[in-house]
Amino acid sequence: MIRKLTPDPSCSIGGIKMADQGAADPGNNNNNKPEASEGTIIKVTVKTPKDKEEIAIAEDASVTQFKEEISRRFKAKQDQLVLIFAGKILKDGDSLSQHGIKDGLTVHLVIKTAHKAGDGGSTSASSSTPTQAGNTSTSSPGTNSSSTAGSTGTAASPTQTPNILTGFGDLSGLAGLGMGSANFMELQQQMQRQLMSNPEMLSQIMENPLVQNMMSNPDLMRQMIMANPQMQQLMERNPEISHMLNNPELMRQTMELARNPAMMQEMMRNQDRALSNLESIPGGYNALRRMYTDIQEPMFSAAREQFGNNPFSALGGNSESGAQPSRTENREPLPNPWGPPNSSNPSESGGAPTGSTSTTGGTNPSVSNPLGINPGSLGNGMFNSPGMQSLMQQISENPQLMQNMLSAPYMRSMMQSLSQNPELASQVLMNNPLFAGNPQLQDQFRSQLPIFLQQMQNPEALSVMTNPRAMQALMQIQQGLQTLQTEAPGLMPGWGHANREPSLLTKQCRNKRCPATADATDAPDVCWRRRRNCRRNWRRNCRRNCRRNWRRNWRNWRNWRRSWRRKCNGTQKHDQILHLSHLSKKEQKVQ
Amino acid sequence: MDQTDSYPVKLYIYDMSRGMARQLSPLMLGRQLDGVWHTAIVVHGKEFFFVGEGVNNCPPSGTPLGEPDSIVDLGSTEVPADLFMEYLISLAESTYSGDKYNLFEHNCNTFSNEVAQFLTGKKIPSYITDLPSEVLSTPFGQALRPLLDSIVINPGGNNITGKR
Repeated sequence: MIRKLTPDPSCSIGGIKMADQGAADPGNNNNNKPEASEGTIIKVTVKTPKDKEEIAIAEDASVTQFKEEISRRFKAKQDQLVLIFAGKILKDGDSLSQHGIKDGLTVHLVIKTAHKAGDGGSTSASSSTPTQAGNTSTSSPGTNSSSTAGSTGTAASPTQTPNILTGFGDLSGLAGLGMGSANFMELQQQMQRQLMSNPEMLSQIMENPLVQNMMSNPDLMRQMIMANPQMQQLMERNPEISHMLNNPELMRQTMELARNPAMMQEMMRNQDRALSNLESIPGGYNALRRMYTDIQEPMFSAAREQFGNNPFSALGGNSESGAQPSRTENREPLPNPWGPPNSSNPSESGGAPTGSTSTTGGTNPSVSNPLGINPGSLGNGMFNSPGMQSLMQQISENPQLMQNMLSAPYMRSMMQSLSQNPELASQVLMNNPLFAGNPQLQDQFRSQLPIFLQQMQNPEALSVMTNPRAMQALMQIQQGLQTLQTEAPGLMPGWGHANREPSLLTKQCRNKRCPATADATDAPDVCWRRRRNCRRNWRRNCRRNCRRNWRRNWRNWRNWRRSWRRKCNGTQKHDQILHLSHLSKKEQKVQ
Repeated sequence: MDQTDSYPVKLYIYDMSRGMARQLSPLMLGRQLDGVWHTAIVVHGKEFFFVGEGVNNCPPSGTPLGEPDSIVDLGSTEVPADLFMEYLISLAESTYSGDKYNLFEHNCNTFSNEVAQFLTGKKIPSYITDLPSEVLSTPFGQALRPLLDSIVINPGGNNITGKR
């Protein structure tokens, strides 16, 4: 009890009272003594998240003493207590009066539990990330994507570059998440596993407008499914499957089904009922079994082989490869930063090296120029949007990822099917929100599609893409060309102007004579030069001639006439005034 | 004094009716309400609010409500992020779990008020916390009470629950 005898210069009574309290009075220790003098003992409310208590303490007590009291009351250790008042954390060395804690005020308390203390915050953060992380790849709608971007940002990935991919799954974020290894296949499998275990994720994927768009197009779906080699095998074995695929009605229904979990369940139930009925028919059981072994099993195993766990097996036998599009399509519509206004580039910079870009005309791949890079267009083209740049950066930073993506077998088959079917590609292109609002861009891309797709088949191109140093070198070249263009535009006169097609991604000034160069990435549609010239002359001409401005013209004339008359004002010196009008009034008078 | 940093605390105020309350309230309720206020506390770079699911957080202005109508600066706090998360978790386990949400009595504004007091010692502006009582004081409010009681607001975000 000695500790309570704090030397108290302000109140001598305090000393005595302390002794009193310190004396054998265990029962009343915590109660406010009515005989306490008013200033000394104050009642402070201590509030935890869970409850609150009133604690009586001396006004001049220190925080340590206060904490002792509290630890007794709340049955916690002093080290676990954190007191907060008015936004400040009360440290042991302070006193209550220092912080202005008076009678009747509330102090907040947080009791740290030993294991939670450091981890509590981080475990909750990290446990929220894996469940949300799966969503990053599928860009679940609404706030989820932004919140996951936020949580991935805090958790791991440092790349905060404005990233086109964020809408489609921040690949760098994914790699950084440590969710899987950099091995794309593994990553994919993990995602699917998660998908299996988390049905909500599945429904979220379904809600993804991209996926929905795709699913609503039965042709697309059919193409995708058929492009899968295993599927093809399956189809050979079981012609019924190909019948099913070729029946658009059925496809559509299946897709509806996949989209709508309630309907799916209904279907499943019906199916089960039908099956059970079938079973009861003599010989029916055998038929069922045959059906199962012939059809379903190979289907399942084929799919499983390729994808690890088949998430759609949960949904039903039909649309399992629906998972494939939702997986891979997300990578797809990534624009080619280097030129061929291209969309359905399944790998990020897929078309990057195929510089044979924009409408300036593709240079076809020749021997010395395997990628068909048109140097003139490198300085131009979609390079210049910041999104592209970041894409390029990402690519060069993540060579492993790129390589894995490209090596994924279905990626190859997808590219093949895309090259064979430009409509497919253009459809996917449509779905890309990057271009959604910009029909011109879409057209541009569409026209470049076949060239690009051809080049994708070129294994050289592919190998360049997977080589990070090559990518970097290409980027350097591009940057060099850009600088060259700005520094010495005269050097390659053909480059500067010839390339100024309305490249929509770089948004140059529409004015053909505008000296604003290709790297005017933030150029408005019509830059200030054009606008100024246009407006200046236009207005002048218009004012003179235009009938709509007739009134104004007349008014101007009338006002001028009035002022002229005022100036003359009775004098006969019209001519003089006219001639001397360059002088001021005073000077005119002098004349 | 030593290494305690100070983190700014802001209160984001959203009008959930998007201006409709200001126009329609005199008509419907008989008194002027400038908005149906939803508040959230922004600190340590995140926005925290209480909704039907429980305590949620998201990046500032990350809810479907978009940008706030007004931002009130509540000052700053010394409470570091980890301690704050602890506090929120205990809140989420006890008084602010999802099922405790009540549109009138225990709503997002109550939560913001409490967190604001914890962080800075200040309360949020009173016109926000007085809103439910104002509404209930009108006959219309009373009539709609059973309906409104069952409404639970869920504008998304990451959930913080104590039970993981």
